[in-house]
Amino acid sequence: MQKIIDKPSVLRHVNKLRWAVLTIVFLMLILLPFVHLYQTYIAAHAYDLLLPYEKIIYDNMEWLTSPFVSDPEHDLDAVKGTTWSGSLFGLQLSDPLAVVSQFSASLSLYWPFILTALIPVVVTVLLGRVFCGWICPATFIYELNDTLAAWLRRAGVPLGDNVYDKRIKYLVLGIGLVLSMLLGSIMTAAIYPPAIIGRELYYAIAQGAFGVGAVFFLLTILFDLLVARRGFCRYLCPGGALYSLLGRYRLLRIQRVVEDCNDCKKCNVVCEFGLDPLQDGFGQECNNCTACIAVCPTDALVFKVSTKDVPYQGPGHLGHTWRQQQKQAQQEASE
Amino acid sequence: MKRRRFMKTVGAYTALGVAASMPYGLSRMLSPYAYAAPHRHIPLPGALPDPDDFARACIGCGLCGEVCPPRCVEFKRREGGSEVNTPYIDPAKKACILCNKCMEVCPTDALTEMPRREVDMGIAQIDRAACYPWVDEGICGACVVICPLGDDAIGFTFANIYKPAVKDGCVGCGQCVEVCPEPSLPIRIVHRSEGTIAKHGVATRRRSY
Repeated sequence: MQKIIDKPSVLRHVNKLRWAVLTIVFLMLILLPFVHLYQTYIAAHAYDLLLPYEKIIYDNMEWLTSPFVSDPEHDLDAVKGTTWSGSLFGLQLSDPLAVVSQFSASLSLYWPFILTALIPVVVTVLLGRVFCGWICPATFIYELNDTLAAWLRRAGVPLGDNVYDKRIKYLVLGIGLVLSMLLGSIMTAAIYPPAIIGRELYYAIAQGAFGVGAVFFLLTILFDLLVARRGFCRYLCPGGALYSLLGRYRLLRIQRVVEDCNDCKKCNVVCEFGLDPLQDGFGQECNNCTACIAVCPTDALVFKVSTKDVPYQGPGHLGHTWRQQQKQAQQEASE
Repeated sequence: MKRRRFMKTVGAYTALGVAASMPYGLSRMLSPYAYAAPHRHIPLPGALPDPDDFARACIGCGLCGEVCPPRCVEFKRREGGSEVNTPYIDPAKKACILCNKCMEVCPTDALTEMPRREVDMGIAQIDRAACYPWVDEGICGACVVICPLGDDAIGFTFANIYKPAVKDGCVGCGQCVEVCPEPSLPIRIVHRSEGTIAKHGVATRRRSY
């Protein structure tokens, strides 16, 4: 008990920061199509001809954006796009999966496009699969969905919690790339939730109707809810597979401090990706989302800089198992 | 026993492949490709000339639609085909203004920047049996007035001042299609090889894109 008061950790609040980032990204994906509509209304110079609901959009967007821009029709082009591919103040960023699958579809290298994925790739190599935990708009919905599943379970609804082989997603990535190659269109975009959410929100808000991707996304939500917890991200997501491969030798890792651990297993329960922090089992799938750090009652999980995980360190020193072992060792020593 | 396990593995992988290609299959199933009006699916300015090359290069990010000032860019959604989520323009609804924004923002080589006179989205074709001035049913000239490329692209035929004729400089932006007030739909954007004057008969029903 003394431990908690002695060492208040800043790290346990990083999870809140992550939720703020996820929320901001998701809200931006909703906001940008409205911004686009607003720019169109400005360009048309016809405020008086707008329908009542269009006037509401116009007024609200004007109120939201006027502190930041002086010429909204052109200045608001600074931030456009989705997490699949977007431009941010003149800097174009693309998902590495977009680059890889566009290459496999066209079988030709287009360097301006490949360079747009440079920053995401470098960030992934250094920090691991952070896109999945910190930015992905699908994660925002999937984690809320997971909370819903927890409530339903508590209320007594039987929901599936099957465990499959995590390597299936590499196969999905491979099949997606081969299909892209054979069919000459980018198939991974059709099954990659962040890409789907980005464009479906845009279709729904700016173009008036959802596309086919919305059906697939609903199916993945149902899969997560009824079949396997966070199943799509864990077992099927092709982008997650690519990010896992890129982040295999990441520098920033979460490590268990065995002296502070009390074997409570909350980290294993809270981990969305089904990893095993209690037995130092992080691996390439860990996306540094810090949920386990936030939940740890003794602050036994910390960040460290290393290219390798430590092997299993044994039971935590604040736990029952370790005390028993010590007692036994003492007895054996005295005998 | 080994064989059974092998069959199980193959079965699982096949099921996975089917599941992975499901959105594609759904998009194909939900509606067949609309062959009826090819001139309502014209490519974006600066697009790769071959539709298959374009489908290979486009990642479906939607940026071209998001920056388009007149909001003319639409996306194939339930039309089917392998070009799901790729952009097109329907000039009869809303036409391109040749502002170059989509070419600037496209991350891939699907749309490449080029001067507006080198853009090739097709060419305007006038049906002289449907255009009111051509059948002496009135005076119009809307297409000639709206054309952003002016004299190089469309003009009146000599000595018949309201009868429009398309010239080789036309890039197929579709402003004339959007503005044309005549319900007989006399003007449309077609592939450059089909010419600027509509030929009546079977040939005009050919699919151009």
